[in-house]
Amino acid sequence: MTEEKDEKKYTTISIPFQLAEKIKKRIEGTGFHSLSSYATYVLREVISGMENEDEDEAFSKEDEEKVKDRLRALGYLD
Amino acid sequence: MGSAMKLDSDTNYIVSGLERSGTSMMMQILHAGSIPTTFDSSRKSDQNNPKGYYELEGGKIISKLMKGSFPFEKYKGSFIKVTAYGLKYLPKGWYKIIYSERNIEEILDSMEKMADIKDEERDKTKKTFVKLNKMIKETITEREDIDVLFINYNEMLSDPKTQIKKIPEFLETSGVNLDSMIRAIDKKLYRQRKI
Repeated sequence: MTEEKDEKKYTTISIPFQLAEKIKKRIEGTGFHSLSSYATYVLREVISGMENEDEDEAFSKEDEEKVKDRLRALGYLD
Repeated sequence: MGSAMKLDSDTNYIVSGLERSGTSMMMQILHAGSIPTTFDSSRKSDQNNPKGYYELEGGKIISKLMKGSFPFEKYKGSFIKVTAYGLKYLPKGWYKIIYSERNIEEILDSMEKMADIKDEERDKTKKTFVKLNKMIKETITEREDIDVLFINYNEMLSDPKTQIKKIPEFLETSGVNLDSMIRAIDKKLYRQRKI
């Protein structure tokens, strides 16, 4: 059962062999003990950056309409 | 609404912030400190703002701002309240703005209570108002004709003296009654507390 659970926690992704070799060289002497731990770290950083970008997205036309609706409900706009 | 103290008659003074961020309380504080403020009684005090709204034209000046027909000239030398969205339409001039900020969850709670609604899209609304706040803050910080003081509503309630002292410094004036301003803060009205 435990093995089954562990299997569900992880999945396998494929990257080009040459890239994998480059990464292995890069992580030598660092705190990363495997290709997987480094790839996980990098992907987390990328995803986190993208999420922050989403939060920083510009004030859109849709936002504008939502604000106006709320201002009307609060009596600040006719 | 006259007061003893005088502000620069070439400057438009504005209290702003998102709706329900403490803008009315800031107007009350200024008024209590004998700092010139202008408002009318179009919108009567109610359970949402028991001490009054301190607004012009029932708060509905945003439409005039959008059309470019708001008479700023008439209000130079005295604080008026223009909520955040209205600042998007400020014409060129010379402004001093006190911008109130408050915990966004408290703002949303207070908006829902005032509008008597249960917001089914609260996360979306939150995102929108966070973006609006950010956009307006960037605009007023970047504009060369605007000088701005940011005051946090939550800090104002927890440490009024420190926060209120910033106001005369910002206005470059000494004839302000700080004690009266501090007394104008009614912590009993802090009903949407989250932090």
